Amino acid sequence: MLKKLSLLAATFIVATGTALADPVSGGRANAVIQPEPPSLMLGLVQNGPTQMVAGNLYESLLRYGPDLEPLPQLAKSWEISEDGLTYTFHLYDNVKWHDGKPFSAEDVVFSADVFLRETHPRLRQSLKYVESITAPDANTVVFKLNEPFGPFIGIFEVGTMPMIPKHIYEGTDYKANPANNTPIGTGPFKFVEWTKGSHILLTKNEDYYIDGLPYLDEIYWHIIPDAASRSVAFETGVVDILPGGSVENFDVPRLTAMENTCVTDKGWEFIGPLSWMWLNNREGPTADKRFRQAVMYAMDREFAKDALWNGLGKVAQSPVSSSTRFFSDDVSQYPYDPDKARALLEEMGYDGTPVRLLPLPYGETWQRWAEAIKQNLEEVGVKVEIVATDVAGWNQKISDWDYDLAFTYLYQYGDPALGVARTYVSSNIAKGSPWNNVEGYENAKVDELFAKAATAVSKEERQALYTEVQQILTDDVPVAWLLELGFPTIYRCNVKDLVTTAIGVNDGFRDAYIEK
Amino acid sequence: MLRFIAMRLVKAAIILIAIVTLNFFLIHAAPGDPAAVMAGEAGAADDIFLEQLREQFGLDKPLLTQLGLYLGGIIQLDLGFSYRQQMPVADLIFDRLPATLLLTMTAFVISLVLGTLAGVLASARVGKWSDTLISTVALLFYATPLYWAALMAVLIFSVQLNWLPGFGYETVGGNYEGLDRVIDIAKHLILPATTLGLFFMAVYMRMTRASMLEVSTLDFVKTARAKGLKPSIIQRRHVFRNALLPVVTLAGLQAGQLVGGAVLTETVFAWPGIGRLMFEALAQRDYNVLLGVFFVSAAMVLLFNLITDILYRVVDPRIRAS
Amino acid sequence: MTDFWKRYQRNRGAVIGLIILLAVVLVAVLAPVLFPQSPWKMVQRPFLPPFAMERFPLGTDTLGRNVLAGLAHGAQVSLLVGLISTLVSLVIGIPIGALAGYFGGWVDDALMRFTEFFQTVPNFALAIVLVAIFEPSVQSIVGAIAIVSWPPVARLVRGEVLSLRSREYVEAAILSGQTNATIIWRQILPNTLSPIIVLASLMVATAILLESSLSFLGLGDPNLMSWGYMIGAARTVIRQAWWLSFFPGLAIVLTVLALNLIGEGLNDALNPRLSRKGK
Repeated sequence: MLKKLSLLAATFIVATGTALADPVSGGRANAVIQPEPPSLMLGLVQNGPTQMVAGNLYESLLRYGPDLEPLPQLAKSWEISEDGLTYTFHLYDNVKWHDGKPFSAEDVVFSADVFLRETHPRLRQSLKYVESITAPDANTVVFKLNEPFGPFIGIFEVGTMPMIPKHIYEGTDYKANPANNTPIGTGPFKFVEWTKGSHILLTKNEDYYIDGLPYLDEIYWHIIPDAASRSVAFETGVVDILPGGSVENFDVPRLTAMENTCVTDKGWEFIGPLSWMWLNNREGPTADKRFRQAVMYAMDREFAKDALWNGLGKVAQSPVSSSTRFFSDDVSQYPYDPDKARALLEEMGYDGTPVRLLPLPYGETWQRWAEAIKQNLEEVGVKVEIVATDVAGWNQKISDWDYDLAFTYLYQYGDPALGVARTYVSSNIAKGSPWNNVEGYENAKVDELFAKAATAVSKEERQALYTEVQQILTDDVPVAWLLELGFPTIYRCNVKDLVTTAIGVNDGFRDAYIEK
Repeated sequence: MLRFIAMRLVKAAIILIAIVTLNFFLIHAAPGDPAAVMAGEAGAADDIFLEQLREQFGLDKPLLTQLGLYLGGIIQLDLGFSYRQQMPVADLIFDRLPATLLLTMTAFVISLVLGTLAGVLASARVGKWSDTLISTVALLFYATPLYWAALMAVLIFSVQLNWLPGFGYETVGGNYEGLDRVIDIAKHLILPATTLGLFFMAVYMRMTRASMLEVSTLDFVKTARAKGLKPSIIQRRHVFRNALLPVVTLAGLQAGQLVGGAVLTETVFAWPGIGRLMFEALAQRDYNVLLGVFFVSAAMVLLFNLITDILYRVVDPRIRAS
Repeated sequence: MTDFWKRYQRNRGAVIGLIILLAVVLVAVLAPVLFPQSPWKMVQRPFLPPFAMERFPLGTDTLGRNVLAGLAHGAQVSLLVGLISTLVSLVIGIPIGALAGYFGGWVDDALMRFTEFFQTVPNFALAIVLVAIFEPSVQSIVGAIAIVSWPPVARLVRGEVLSLRSREYVEAAILSGQTNATIIWRQILPNTLSPIIVLASLMVATAILLESSLSFLGLGDPNLMSWGYMIGAARTVIRQAWWLSFFPGLAIVLTVLALNLIGEGLNDALNPRLSRKGK
C-alpha cells in the first residue's frame, strides 16, 4: 500500500493561515536584506541572504509547515514506498521557467543529480543514500535509495534542493555561466535588477502556475549595511519588513513598540538554529566532564535570553532543538545554579587555569553574550579571557582546535541525522572545518546510536534511539548548549501571511499580501 | 615643471608598489583561511569543497606566486577577483569610489573653506572674544571623536528633529530622476560631509590662524606696513597668500586622514563608499578587495599630494622665482 | 621652572586643561578604590537611566553594568594606551629623525622615503588592518597606533636636528672628536626637547582618539573596559539609551580637549620666542 498525502489536506493547512481576510493583490513589499548576498544563484550559493532573496525566484518540490510536515510546492503530491526506499513525486504540469520555457521532470533530474551534486555540499551528504533519480514521464520524478534514510523527505526544501533550469546550465561551466547574474527560476517572483550596495528588485511572475498567486506586484530588497540604519529605515517607513537577524536584538523592543508593528519568531522551525559553546574536550580544564557540567550550571541562560534576545527563543535542554523531530526533554537538566558549579569545580580540583573564550564575531549581541558568560564564569571562580577575532580568525581557530570555549550556532535542518549527529559522532573529528565534531568528543555508543537512528525506518524506533543519545550527551556535556535562538521577523501588521512555513521568510513571499 | 611632475610620478609609483607589497604580506600574515569563510557562508563545508575553493582562487599557490600574479595584474589595472562578492575587485571599488570621492571632496571643501575663513577671522582679532570663540569651537571639533559626532548628528538632526536623512546615499526606493535626484543626494550628503569636515575644519583653522600670525611678523610684512599699505591689502596680498602655504602642505598630508575618516563616517552613515567596502572586506578577509582598496586609496593620496605639490609651487612666489 | 609655570599659567585655557586632565588622572588612579568590583559586573537591571538610583548615578548599560564604573576604569585604559603608544612612537620617531637630520645625504634620503611611505598609507585604515591582523589586544593596539603616529615625530626631529647641526657648538663638538652618538645624544637631542614635548602632548590626545575609534569599530581589547568600547556597544541602542554613548563621548572630548589645551600651554611656556609673536 502506498502512503499518500492528499493535496487537499495540504492546501487546507496553508489556507487556515489566510482564512481571516481575503487577500488583495498589488503593492510593493519593502524588505531589508543583510548582508548583501554574494550571488542570487541559489544552486551555487546557499548562505542566508542568498536564500532569503532567491527563495522567491527558485522553488523546490516541497515546502514544510511549522510542524515540519511536507507541503506541496512544485510537486502537487508524492508517495513513499513502505520500505522507505522509493520516493515518487507528481509535478504540477503547467509550470514555466521565468524565460517562458516549460519546466519538467527532466529539470528535476538535472538539478538534483547533476548540478547540485557538483555544487551543493550539504545536499551531497544526503545524496549519498540515493541510488538513482529518474523521470518516467514529464511530470513524474522517482528517487530510489540504496538504504532507508529517515530525514530524506526533509531535503526537498528550496535552500537544499533548488530547481535549476536544465536548458540554461546543461553542459556549461556553472560558475562562469552569465545567467548567474540574471537568475531564472520557477518561483512566484522574477528577477529585475540588482544595484550593488543599494537594492535588489523582484517583480511578480504573471505566469505563476497557481492562479492568483503571488499577490504582491514587486519586492524591493534594500541593502543597508549598518544595523542602526536598518532600524531607522524601518522607523522612517522606508522598509516594512525586517527579516530575522537584520537588526540588532537591542533594537527589537523599540521597533516592536511602534504602531502597526508585528513581530514573530516563527519561520525558523526547519533550520532550528541552536547555539552552544564548543568546549575543547581534548585538553585543559574543559577536558574534565565536571568542569563542563560546572559551566552549564554557572551560566544564567534565562538572563541572556531576556537581556540579549528579548525573551525570544528558548533555553536549550538538549542537543536537539525542540522544534526538530525526535527532541526529548527526558534528559539531565542544568538550571542556573552557581553553588552547584562551585561544588563541581572544587570536586575536580580546578586550579584556576584561565580559559580562553572566543565570541562569535557576528555583531553586538554575541559580543555582549560572551561578556555576560565571562562574568557568570568568573563568579564561580573560573578565570576567563575573551579572545577578540573576526570571522576568518574565528573559523581558523575553531578549525585548528585552538580554543577552550567558543560560541557558535548551527542549523538542525529538521532532523537529527542532518543537523545534530555531525557535531557529536567521532567519524566527524577532523581539523580544517568549524562545522564538524570540533570539540573532539568520542563515544562509541553515541556513534552507534546515531548511525542506527539515521537508517531506522519507523518513527518510534528512531525516537527511542534519539532519546537515548540525548540522555548520554546531556550527561557528558561535550558542548555547552545555550539557547534555541529566536530570530524575530518584524513587519508592519498590514503585511499578511509573510511567514507561513517552517522556512519562514526564506521560503519566499508567495502568500504574502498587503492589506489596504 | 614637467620634469618636476615626472619625477614625482616616478616616486609615487615606487611608493605605490612598496605599499602594495607590504600590504600583501601583512594581510597574508593574518590568521584565517578565506576558503573556510566562503565555505561557511555556503552553509557547510567538506574537504572537496574547500579544495575546490582554494584551487579556484589560487589560494593553494605559493605566496610569492600569488604576489607576483597580483603585482602583474595591478600594472594592467586588474585588481583581482573577489571570491566573496563574485565580482572583479576593480568593479567593486570603482562602483563605490564615486560615493567616497563625493563625500571626501565635499568634506574637504567644507573644511578648507570654513577652516581658512575662520582662521583668518580669528587671526585678525587675536585676543578678542570672537577669536576665543572661534578657537574654542575649533578646538572642540578637533577633540571630538568623529564617530561620536556622527552618532550625535544622527540622533539630533535625523531622529529627533527629522530634518535630514541619517543614512544612505539617496532615498531608498525613491527613484528620483534628474535634478530631484541631485537634491536628494545632496540632502543625504549634508550630515556625513559636515561631520567628516568639522574635524578637518578645526585643523585648517588652527593652522591658518597660527600661520597668519607667524607671517604677519615677518620682515616683508613689516616693510609693507612701513610703506603705508592698507592693512586689509597687506592681509590679503602678503599675509594670507603666504600663510596659505603651510595650509596647502597640510591639506596634502591630511588626504590620507580623510580616507581613514571616511571609514568611520561611512560606517555610521551607511554611506556606500570604499571606506565601508574596506571594513566589510576586512571582516571577511576578502584579501583582494582589501588590497585593492588600499591600493586605490593610497593612489588617491599620492595623486592628492602631487596636486598640492604643484599648487604649492603656484602659490609660493619664492619657489616660482627660483 | 617658576619661569616656565609663569608663562604656562598665562594661558588660561592651558590651566583649565591641566585641571581637567588632573581630574581624569585622579579618577583613573582611584578607579580600583572607588569601584572595586569589575566594571563588567552586571549589578542592576539593564538600561537603568541616569540619576534614577543613587548608587548608579549614570545608570546601567545593556547588560546592567554600572556606567560610572565603566567610565572610571575606561579612564585608565584611555590614558595608558595614549601614553604608552606615544612613548613607543617617540622611540621609533626620534632616532629616525635624528639620524636623518644628522647624517643627511643618502641616510636622510632613505629614512625620509621610509617615513613618507608611512605617511602616504591612509593612517587609520592601516591601524585597522594592523590591529585586525595581530588580533585586538592592548599590545596590538599600542603597536598599531605607534606605527601610524611616529612619522611626524621623525619629521620634527629631523628638522630641528638639521638646523642645530650647523650651529657652532655642534661643529666644535665634531671637531673635538666626540663620537656621533655622543653628539646626537648630548648636544643635539636635549635642544630638541621642547618641541618634542609639545608634539607629544598632542600625540597623546590623538592616540586616545585613535584607540577609541578602533574600539568603537569593535577592535578594542575585549577584556578591557574602554570609552570607545562603551560608545561602540551603545551605538545600536542610542535611541533608547542616549546616556550610554553620551557620557563616554563627553569623557573623550574633555580629555582630548584638555590635552590639546595643555599642548598649547606647553608651547607658550617652552617656546617663548614663538608665543610672544602671537601676542
